[in-house]
Amino acid sequence: MNTVKVRARGAFRPLAFFLEAIPRIAPRLLGLAVVNAFALWFLYQLVIDGVWFLSAAISIIALGINVIFLREHLYPFRWLSPGLVFMVLMVAYPVLFTVYTAFTNYGDGHLLTKPQAIRVLEKEQYLPEGAPTYQWTAFRSPSGEYVLWLVADNGETLLARPSEPAQKVTPGQADVGPLGEDGIPQSIKGYQRLSRVDSVRFLSELGKLAFGQAPNTIKINTLDQAAQYQQQYVYDKKQNALVDRATGTVYHADDTEGVFVSSDGQALRPGYQVLVGWENFQRLLASPALRGPFIRVFIWTVAFGLLSALLTFVLGLFLALVFDDPAVPARKLFRSVLVIPYAVPGFISILIWVGMLNPELGVISTALQKLLGWSPPWFSDPWWTKAGVLLVNLWLGYPYMMLVCSGALQAIPDELYEAAEIDGASAWQRFWNITLPLLLISVGPLLIGCFAFNFNNFVVIYLFNRGGPPMADAMTPAGHTDILISYTFRLAFASRRGADFGYAATITTVIFLVVAIITAFNFRYTKVWEEVSESV
Amino acid sequence: MKPKALVLLGLVLTLVLSAACAPKATPTPTSPPTIAPTKAPTEMPTEAPTKVPRKLTIWADELRAPVMEEVSKAFTAKYGVDVAVEMVPFGDMRDRLKVAGPAGEGPDIIMGPHDWLGELVSSGLLAPIDLGAKKELFLSAALQAFTYEGKLYGMPQMTENVALFYNPKLVAEAPKTLDELEKVAGQLESEGKVKYGFLIHAGDAYHFFPIMTAFGGYVFGRDAQGNYNPQDVGIDSPGSIAAAEWLDMMVKRGHLSKDVDWEVMHTMFQDGKAAMIISGPWALPRIKESGISYAVSKIPAGPAGEARPFIGVRGFMVSAFSKDLLLAQTFLTEFVATEEIMQRIFELDPGASAFLPVRERIKDPDTAAFAEAGENGLAMPAIPEMSTVWSAWGDAVTLIYQQRLSPDEAFKKAAEQIRTAIKGG
Repeated sequence: MNTVKVRARGAFRPLAFFLEAIPRIAPRLLGLAVVNAFALWFLYQLVIDGVWFLSAAISIIALGINVIFLREHLYPFRWLSPGLVFMVLMVAYPVLFTVYTAFTNYGDGHLLTKPQAIRVLEKEQYLPEGAPTYQWTAFRSPSGEYVLWLVADNGETLLARPSEPAQKVTPGQADVGPLGEDGIPQSIKGYQRLSRVDSVRFLSELGKLAFGQAPNTIKINTLDQAAQYQQQYVYDKKQNALVDRATGTVYHADDTEGVFVSSDGQALRPGYQVLVGWENFQRLLASPALRGPFIRVFIWTVAFGLLSALLTFVLGLFLALVFDDPAVPARKLFRSVLVIPYAVPGFISILIWVGMLNPELGVISTALQKLLGWSPPWFSDPWWTKAGVLLVNLWLGYPYMMLVCSGALQAIPDELYEAAEIDGASAWQRFWNITLPLLLISVGPLLIGCFAFNFNNFVVIYLFNRGGPPMADAMTPAGHTDILISYTFRLAFASRRGADFGYAATITTVIFLVVAIITAFNFRYTKVWEEVSESV
Repeated sequence: MKPKALVLLGLVLTLVLSAACAPKATPTPTSPPTIAPTKAPTEMPTEAPTKVPRKLTIWADELRAPVMEEVSKAFTAKYGVDVAVEMVPFGDMRDRLKVAGPAGEGPDIIMGPHDWLGELVSSGLLAPIDLGAKKELFLSAALQAFTYEGKLYGMPQMTENVALFYNPKLVAEAPKTLDELEKVAGQLESEGKVKYGFLIHAGDAYHFFPIMTAFGGYVFGRDAQGNYNPQDVGIDSPGSIAAAEWLDMMVKRGHLSKDVDWEVMHTMFQDGKAAMIISGPWALPRIKESGISYAVSKIPAGPAGEARPFIGVRGFMVSAFSKDLLLAQTFLTEFVATEEIMQRIFELDPGASAFLPVRERIKDPDTAAFAEAGENGLAMPAIPEMSTVWSAWGDAVTLIYQQRLSPDEAFKKAAEQIRTAIKGG
């Protein structure tokens, strides 16, 4: 309101404006400043670590918050902002990052960024041919300077100081005291001989020093050995290549494959991350994995998602209807007991079910065996395994549906039933024409959610039988109860180079698109239901 | 005008506040590592030697973290270097190393099994280790396991392999050959003394591997240097198929069942319903607790000779991103690789030590028996291509158990799947 006044008066009077506005907006600005300070600090850390994607997400969030809180006409968004923040951070960012990863070769062998890979490779050392190795003994001055007494393999001795040529010294010369029984001087003037234990104490400092004059400097390699170790690979920016100083070979950076390769095709390890364009998608399309079991896996995935949603809904609704009837005794007690499967962590229930269904020792199977003389091959027959997974998923899912339906049933006005009864509708007609359509309005979206969740319900599939039993005729390893996500897991982590995150992200992106399309279609149908409700 | 003024004010306040916060907030996480090295050369003289802020970080799993905590106290006391042992869950360690190592926040040393090598070395996360003369003190098969493309990347701690558990009350003496084993199993079953004379749990390739070697089968061939060669897939070699046929025969005669999983197999052995099983040292605690009488012996030999189980070697690896590689390596070679410390580690984490002076004096009969059963074992291939094998090979074994493919078909199909995956399918 005040802003309007200020503007209405025409001339902008800064002093008056600030005097008036500051008390009003100060708390908000202060809050914003705290948020910004935190965001900047966080960004600083992220940029140091080179985490660009998250930095971008954080920047967008911080900017968004500032805009929302400084613009008066965006007032309603202030209340939405926490939700928006979490949506960007928990939904948009991971999705975008996954899609981005699908276009990279990120995975074992290509984990590092190029600068990191160069850093690792530049740490490699080599010993020039014919260069002797030495046993070393360190001497330390009180001011922290070091001298090395070196004994070569051939018995030759040297005295080496940092950045001075190493020299042959005979005892008595150059402040070197007489040799001890071990053939090493007892003392060097101004320095104290380090015992083996002390050498370890000072090892961090010793290890950083290069003794002798460049380029023939001697470095400590282990506690027992020092030699003229040289850095093997040096990065040449101009050539965009690593040069092997031992052999002179040039390893050019192949930025499409993410490796350093010599002209004769020799590649250095490790490689690095690069964008590979559509390569992963092409690989997926060309893969026998797609031609082979993919279609069967896909059909079962859809069937599993649909049946899970449907079965849990039917059982949940049935129980909700039963316990909605005041005539049922101890309703509250039963309802509470029935919710228990929902309260037990899923993976525990699944493993218990697996144990109970085991044909050799499981309670259910042995009981059936005694009663009928037969029990289903729960884990080795394709159809029975599918039934088993659905059974377990029904157990895990029905309490949720029961709770949701119980709530939704309360919302259906009693007058409708009264009117229907007067019109002479049977119980079945009342259920079919009143309860179900009205219930679906509120429960419909949840059913879609349930479907989408089960579409990717890795835990149940994997813990029940790891996707097995295996398909006997598949060209790539696949199981009869594998759903897309568990099949992806097999493909991505059973590739020739261990974990291949880029490829996994590609398959995930494809699955995401499939789910998104199916969900979009589903929502169309829920709109149909809404129209029904309006006409009722 | 007004919104602009607001933005301006917001910006000014932001800058002031962040300027006020930043210096306080940032130094803690970032500066100590950078300050320490630069200070050392210039200001060292006045500092007492023990005050040099040096620290080694070790990542170990739930079981080994307390062991290393205990052991490294002696190192700190002797050398004045702090050792921080962080407990990292076994299953998370590799993934965390992949993130933390390159970011400069990883450990100096990790403890893990040798079959991580392929994935970690190919990603540039491990530094080679030079054991020098101490090499002689380690089991050579264990060193071989930690060797990747000719370089040593780990210091072995202990070896693990499967062996034959048998119930001496049912089987007086462990069978020496697979034929004998089948006869004994058949006899026990027909006499009704047990439900199963001999069990390997269904669909598991790892426990089946020793039998495959007893028929001359293999997974990957080796080149002249002893490195595994991913171009030579042996799942459909005549030996492997002969072993698959043996498995098929065992299933057909009712000795092995598709419905016996790992849990059921152990329960049956513990209840005396199974007389012999193939399992590893990790099953010892539960079998001991059950009170059933048991003994451990070599897995019976086959037509091609002795059964050679996969050997898994646990040990210490040095991160390529360690800030003090020399010190990390020295911690291992100078301190850990001594009889005193290796013996202590063995006492706290019992298992067949890979350190010969300790291994040769193992008194516990079970551990000694496992060590003996693994004497001629084969290092589990650590090459990344191994990840293409498990799923296909395991499925083939399952299909034989379930009698849905002939042994010949099952193993040929698995080999084909593996070759396709290695080619890049």
